[in-house]
Amino acid sequence: MNIKINHIAKIEGHTGFMASVLNGDVKSAKFEVQEGIRLIEGVLVGRHYKDMPVIAQRICGICPVVHNLTSIKAIENAMKVEVSPETIKLRRVMEHAQFIHSHALHLFFLSLADFLDIENDLDLVKEYPEETKKAVKLREYGMEIVKIIGGRVVHPLTNEVGGFKKVPTLEEIQHLISQGEEALPIALQLGVFFQKIKVPDFIRETEYVCLSKKGEYAIYDGDVVSNKGMHVDVNHFEEKFHEFQRPKEIIKRVYADGKTSYMVGAIARVNNQGEKLGWEARQYLKSLGFKMPDFNPFHNVLYQMVEIIHCIEESVQLLKELTHMDLANAVTKPYVVREGAAAAAVEAPRGTLYYWVDIDAKGYIKNVNIITPTAQFLSHLEDDIAKFIPGILDADEKAREKKMRAFIRAYDPCISCAVH
Amino acid sequence: METQNNTETKKPKIAIVSLTSCEGCQFALLDLGERFLEAMGKVEMVDFRLLEDEEDTGEMLDIGFVEGTPITEANKKTLLELRKRSKLLVVIGNCAAMGGIPEIKNYHEQKHTIKHVYKYIQGIENEPIQEVDNFVKVDFTFPGCPITGEEFLNYLPLLLAGEMPNIPDNPVCVECKKKGNTCLLLEKKPCFGPMILGGCDAVCPTARMGCQGCRGLRPTGNVKAMRAALKNFMSDEEFENTTEIYGLRDDIEEWDKKNNTK
Repeated sequence: MNIKINHIAKIEGHTGFMASVLNGDVKSAKFEVQEGIRLIEGVLVGRHYKDMPVIAQRICGICPVVHNLTSIKAIENAMKVEVSPETIKLRRVMEHAQFIHSHALHLFFLSLADFLDIENDLDLVKEYPEETKKAVKLREYGMEIVKIIGGRVVHPLTNEVGGFKKVPTLEEIQHLISQGEEALPIALQLGVFFQKIKVPDFIRETEYVCLSKKGEYAIYDGDVVSNKGMHVDVNHFEEKFHEFQRPKEIIKRVYADGKTSYMVGAIARVNNQGEKLGWEARQYLKSLGFKMPDFNPFHNVLYQMVEIIHCIEESVQLLKELTHMDLANAVTKPYVVREGAAAAAVEAPRGTLYYWVDIDAKGYIKNVNIITPTAQFLSHLEDDIAKFIPGILDADEKAREKKMRAFIRAYDPCISCAVH
Repeated sequence: METQNNTETKKPKIAIVSLTSCEGCQFALLDLGERFLEAMGKVEMVDFRLLEDEEDTGEMLDIGFVEGTPITEANKKTLLELRKRSKLLVVIGNCAAMGGIPEIKNYHEQKHTIKHVYKYIQGIENEPIQEVDNFVKVDFTFPGCPITGEEFLNYLPLLLAGEMPNIPDNPVCVECKKKGNTCLLLEKKPCFGPMILGGCDAVCPTARMGCQGCRGLRPTGNVKAMRAALKNFMSDEEFENTTEIYGLRDDIEEWDKKNNTK
């Protein structure tokens, strides 16, 4: 028997899914990607490094902030450009904001309907007007930060190698603080609503990978770690995680040690570093009552809710610290263009985002590699679904398809990122 | 969406379809939040895969909106089908209008660019990038990378009434001056504002990022004068490279040919 889904709506990008089942055994479970190739790495080769953050962020319309920041960090590492503490703090605020608006979009507008038996969001909005307003409010806080610090939400403008072209005023920072303080109780209320959703029981033990840094819930910086004791510096990422391309496939798959699939994203981060979350986020996490380590991938949606709460707490804290600093220090200072190669990584909403770049003495790019979260977890998702399918074979075709769509969407895949 | 009562069936039918892209233009719409939901309350959304799970029934549309670059055969088929069923076909964003980021390969290694990315290239669709209007008639274009949400909301009612909006032939500079910005060109920083079509609220120069032309040449934009203004701080090569980012270079070459410059 073949199980085929032609097109999975309500995810970023285009893909179908195909599984073949023989006598109750899943023989294969595979995504059929329907994107064209944009060849972002290819078009970057030979270009000036200043074009890279501008071009690379256009890999993704929902998480441009992280592509922009990771390319900037990789270039700075390669050319050994130092930036000010103010610059780092502003960037971290933007990262947290990126999490808030991306997660709020996914958990409310893309995934929630699956657990409420609703087929389209304009109906969801009608049925749950209060909750919709709350989700929109949270998104607006995240977007307002990116707009004020970055100049625009989709494809921000002010970030560059060395710092910022323009920095926000103290009044603007204060405006964001008060908006963040209003957002926190709204997030907690929405969190209570999400506690009530019923997700399927499904368990498969796995390796969770994310960044880790002493003393903070690592999002902007850190080493790469896993729940199985793996710990490497970002510059050694490609020695541990290997990219493979199967003939005719346009998404490269990534395996730990060249063979096993692994998981990244909110569920990996909360499992690995949940004790470093902000106070409110930890209380909310406790209230969910999940036993750690938690190997139910459907819970990814709830861990995104945990992270929204954390990111609001943390962004308000960072913004408050910025009011005591001189923002003018974040404006780009002259630096030397130097030959060099280096890696950089951040946590994107969907997991660890890795860039590596090699630049010549005149500042032109010799080579570049980008490994996105979805490329990393796609094989893991296929392995999960292969285990999930036997449990839903008794359901009729329509119900079965619905359950599989819900599963896939809980992962929050971004096919545009994965192909790039 | 299913519509049961009679008043709703009179709503104009639209679809928002994406080809290969970052989908940032759709997010520029979604990010309008309640204002977008309000605008969508006045139409019948037949297909919008970003928010709807229901199968598209394939019915006729008043407006088909399309985002992205037609790269694969499947993309091209989607585009042709959308044209066939739409009274108006409206392009949203730089990829669909001008080729966008993927078009950079056309200017350089073309079919060889792929070798920097993939080991196995056989069986992967890798044609030169062509904009949407090479395949179908386009009735109206919302320019930009991404589009400006406000501009979409402004012109949507006209389009729904079946009329064609007209984006004024103003340079980016008009809005830039209104914002009280210091001119980047006066600071000797490259900016294509004078030759590029305004309507973006000068969002880039306001963030101190020079305009790189994602909205395309304005009808009376003067490339020759632009080159002269940039002469002292941007080499011809840098000028050309920058025009590649948003697929502007082929339009500039056409302008040069027509005006016998260069």
